[in-house]
Amino acid sequence: MAKRKNTFRQDEALETPFDIRHLKRAGVYVVKYKKQMLIAFLLSAVAGITALFDPIIVQNALDIAIPEGNKQMLIWLAIALFGTYAVSIVFAVIRSKIMIRVSQKIIYDIRKDLFAHLQALPFQYYDDRPHGKILIRVVNYVNSVSDMLSNGLINLVLEIFNLIFIIIFMFAVDVDLSIVILCGVPVLAVFLLWIKNKQRKAWQQVSNKNSNLNAYLQENISGARVTQIFAREDENARIFTELSENCRQTWLTACRWSNLVWPGIDTIAVFIRAAIFTFGLVIFAATDTAAGKSVGVIISMASYASRFWQPIMNLGNIFNNFINNTAYLERIFETMDEPVTVKDAPDAEPIGDVAGAVEFENVCFSYEEGKEILHNVSFKVAPGESVALVGPTGAGKSTIVNLISRFYNVNSGRILIDGQDIAHVTLNSLRSAMGIMMQDSFIFSGTIADNIRYGKLDATDEEIRAAASTVCADAFISRMPDGYESEVHERGSLLSQGQKQLVSFARTLLSSPKILILDEATSSIDVQTEKALQEGLNAMLKGRTSFIIAHRLSTIRGCDRIMYIDDGGIIETGTHEELMAARGAYYKLYTAQLEDVL
Amino acid sequence: MRKDDKRPGKIGFLWENMSGLRIVFIISLFGTLVYNTLQLTVPYFSGQITDLFLSGPNAADNLANHRDLLWKLIAGMILITLFRVIVVYLDCMGFEHVSQHALYRIRNTLFEKIEHQDMTFYATYRTGDLMTRLTGDLNAVRHMIAWVLRMILQCSSLFLATFVYFFMMDWLLAVSIVALSPVIFIIVYKFRLKVKPMHISLREKFANMNTVAQENISGNRVVRAFAREDHEIDKFDAINNDYMETARATDMTWVKYFPAIEACACLLPVILLVVGGLFIISGRITTGEYVSFSGLIWAISNPMRQLGSILNEFQRFSAAADKIMEIWYAEPGIRDPEDPVEHPGRFQGKVEFRDVSFQYSDGTYPVLKHISFTAEPGQTVAIMGETGCGKTSLINLIPRFFDPTEGQVLIDGIDVSSMRLQQLRKNIGLATQDVLLYSDTVEDNIAYGDLHLTERQVEKYARLSAAARFISHLPEGYATIIGERGTGLSGGQKQRISLARALAIEPSVLILDDTTSAVDLETEKMIQQGLRELDFNCTKLIIAQRISTTRTADKIIILQNGEITESGTHEELIAKKGYYYELVKLQTGLDRELEELIRRTADRAAANGKEAN
Repeated sequence: MAKRKNTFRQDEALETPFDIRHLKRAGVYVVKYKKQMLIAFLLSAVAGITALFDPIIVQNALDIAIPEGNKQMLIWLAIALFGTYAVSIVFAVIRSKIMIRVSQKIIYDIRKDLFAHLQALPFQYYDDRPHGKILIRVVNYVNSVSDMLSNGLINLVLEIFNLIFIIIFMFAVDVDLSIVILCGVPVLAVFLLWIKNKQRKAWQQVSNKNSNLNAYLQENISGARVTQIFAREDENARIFTELSENCRQTWLTACRWSNLVWPGIDTIAVFIRAAIFTFGLVIFAATDTAAGKSVGVIISMASYASRFWQPIMNLGNIFNNFINNTAYLERIFETMDEPVTVKDAPDAEPIGDVAGAVEFENVCFSYEEGKEILHNVSFKVAPGESVALVGPTGAGKSTIVNLISRFYNVNSGRILIDGQDIAHVTLNSLRSAMGIMMQDSFIFSGTIADNIRYGKLDATDEEIRAAASTVCADAFISRMPDGYESEVHERGSLLSQGQKQLVSFARTLLSSPKILILDEATSSIDVQTEKALQEGLNAMLKGRTSFIIAHRLSTIRGCDRIMYIDDGGIIETGTHEELMAARGAYYKLYTAQLEDVL
Repeated sequence: MRKDDKRPGKIGFLWENMSGLRIVFIISLFGTLVYNTLQLTVPYFSGQITDLFLSGPNAADNLANHRDLLWKLIAGMILITLFRVIVVYLDCMGFEHVSQHALYRIRNTLFEKIEHQDMTFYATYRTGDLMTRLTGDLNAVRHMIAWVLRMILQCSSLFLATFVYFFMMDWLLAVSIVALSPVIFIIVYKFRLKVKPMHISLREKFANMNTVAQENISGNRVVRAFAREDHEIDKFDAINNDYMETARATDMTWVKYFPAIEACACLLPVILLVVGGLFIISGRITTGEYVSFSGLIWAISNPMRQLGSILNEFQRFSAAADKIMEIWYAEPGIRDPEDPVEHPGRFQGKVEFRDVSFQYSDGTYPVLKHISFTAEPGQTVAIMGETGCGKTSLINLIPRFFDPTEGQVLIDGIDVSSMRLQQLRKNIGLATQDVLLYSDTVEDNIAYGDLHLTERQVEKYARLSAAARFISHLPEGYATIIGERGTGLSGGQKQRISLARALAIEPSVLILDDTTSAVDLETEKMIQQGLRELDFNCTKLIIAQRISTTRTADKIIILQNGEITESGTHEELIAKKGYYYELVKLQTGLDRELEELIRRTADRAAANGKEAN
């Protein structure tokens, strides 16, 4: 069954259940900095050991210096005390400096990989889900997990060591009572396991609901004009409030579990402390006087018990943090695991200089299984030839041009450029050889010049101006307040749709492709401008193989060859004159338009 | 932006948005006090047990004869702890509830404010920037309420209570211990000044990153088409790096001030040791008193330590709150008039432009100059002209996306700027040039403007827009989910859904902004037919390039450089042999055939004339 597309209304099902692999995988990002982390760990450990001297110093002051009235010794001890603090401070500063760098680097690395992977994903990925849901992973989720992977890990190890040391000390002092203390551990384990499952689901819900909210938000900001024209503000606010309410509820539910961890541990801890007193004072003492615990043993065991629980409390916090953040981590990895369907073959080589011969050999293609869009399509186009693709909407014209640039893989058959199967050349070299202009002339925020320069990153201002002039865009750009340096926006820019198309035309022209694909590229440009554009266009088409999809017959007529696409294949092919003489589908189309004029 | 006098401070802003749960907030603050007090009792029970049953002079006797007291103490210890953890839990949840409540309110209101903003606003703020305000910035607000405010209370109460306690035990020792606090305050103040701009810059970089990522995702097709993946990766890398460096610099600022603050905090026990030790020696205090001091010294030094990180968080909040409040208090330039003219019910649909001129606020040249025309109810008016001549600007004035610089736009004789926006816009159906569909089902997209549409009605409008056939071929028909901005559909298909969406609200004024540019001719013919068959009365303003679309219009307006240069019917304009005539010639591309057509038309007109006679 085809995977249903996602909307802001639906939570995204998580395909892979969480397991230890996620942490292992996260480990890859950490291992890179193992040296720094080891140093940071050692620094903390040494600082921790230094701190052990504090009580000894104070003890000496109270037991020796003060009773003796030895002021000088007192001062020296104070200096020594401050000395141990100073060591801790210095070490803490060094550790912070190292770890700030590491944790920021980890964020940077994950984000970089995630973004790079997104660049390799096919259209389909972007078509299947709201963009806000992709965005939140790159921007927001990554920030959340960094602390867990850097300081969280170090603290985890530190606390575990701490715990081991305390257990050793405890056993050295008294075995019986140590066992009493350790009896709390299974209780704790059961408690944490129980809460972990609840917590994990709750935080996954939080991430889902936030993702939904982000999706709705992004679409509504992009579509503000549509909202306003349909006077849908109230209804949209209602939907947003609902999504917002979901966020609030799931957050509170998650907090209900997370906030339980710490009180839970505290409760178990107090029972253990009570048990020490009970066992130490009553039970062991009552049964056998020989086994009765000495005063010193009980006092030190009581203090060990609280010291034993301190690292466990800290581990509880770390645990909380880990559980919350794995909800984000698994989403990040899920995106990174998204298969790249269109990618370079292992033996792929750059396509080299392209003359521009294009050939389809029995190409079959379907977007979804069982629904074939193209069936056994074969044709040959000579270098420099211009081909117009006509036919009803949805017949597969765009599909054909999308296959040439390998936006999708064919199901069967081959597509050859200059005799090379495009499945065996690198995508980058293939697409660099082509200029593709789509209907949606996406404008990046930046200046107009920047947008045109997108076609050739090292283009000079003169080249940009020349390209703009060729496509008749120079006139309106020059009239703008800051000319080529005018700021435009992805969305609310003051450019009309036709002007945007002209800008993206200039962008394509600048990339000087060998094969040019114009998919409804001029639909919003008026006929008059298009006529003026024709001259530039002719210059552009000269010596280039071109595929043009258009409905305007004046655009089509001038092409070397016209292919009429319908029913998953090419129905007619020939020049305008030939097809008119054949009196077939194209003839009908053409005369229909003519008749329509009057 | 001028600061409004009525605008509250940032904390006042939070307080306003806690409305409804303020009492919970106050109780939670109180809970924090209770919990911290209880925290101080923890050593009490252990101490008592130790003193009475272990190390005290009567320990053995007590243990033998007063075991009930031991049980009571143990039970007390357990009960107090249980009480304390319950207080902690409820307290934490209280703060979470209040912060989520405020967050919820601010988020929803912010969304509404953004929705009601005008086009100038949308041309100023980038999508990624606005999204940052509603996500990252709001999170800083949540953190402020749930954590920072609580910490401020916790630290200050702990500090004050302990100080008072110390002061009562021995004022001189207490004063000498806190003698360093002014130094800490000065350091923290300096740190605050340093870190403030860093947080402002950090959130700016975050917004930038959001923008770059968002545009990359939205523009993914262009990126692929130009094989610019590497360029995009570089671009993102630069901004990712920039963010990393700024975040690091911000954190490093803390590290720079941390040693000084930490050293001051660490000096407190040292001072205690020296001064306290000297006082014991001189007999001013007892060892027991010293132990009490040293047992609670953390309650003085920890708040001092935390002051820095609290202020750090506060600055983060402050930078975010500035951005949130900027949107909160931004008034849209286009809004309901103070004293609206009520025009309830369905409009007649008479649209009139009276000497309208228009110029964008940042533009140097006027986009529209002295435009006057009238579209009578039910008429079809076609607007044609070159790319960038002002067609879209002209129709944008009708639903008041912009206000004219001069002149008036009237519907049914009422100036649009004197009507309530909702009333006005509910009567206008607009299918925009830049087709924006939502990632939702086809059905929900069509019913966007009228939620109560039945399935049959949705199908009807799809049929009128010649979209029914392709929709029925989609995998799940009307329930098929289409991608964001309609990705996955062809341009023509998107345009037809957008048309159906505009028709579905049965507007009295229908504006089609080049809505059929990407559909093929046969489909276009069907659409024209559909538009003629509408079972409701509506005035149509159609921007189009194709003669086939415009030829049956009651009036064709030719717009050149923002001025109306020609106006009349198809026949009149052809006869005029001006711009329109050239256009017709161009589109058919066949002068001879056109001449022939013109001749036939003239004949027909003559024949009609005869008949009329």
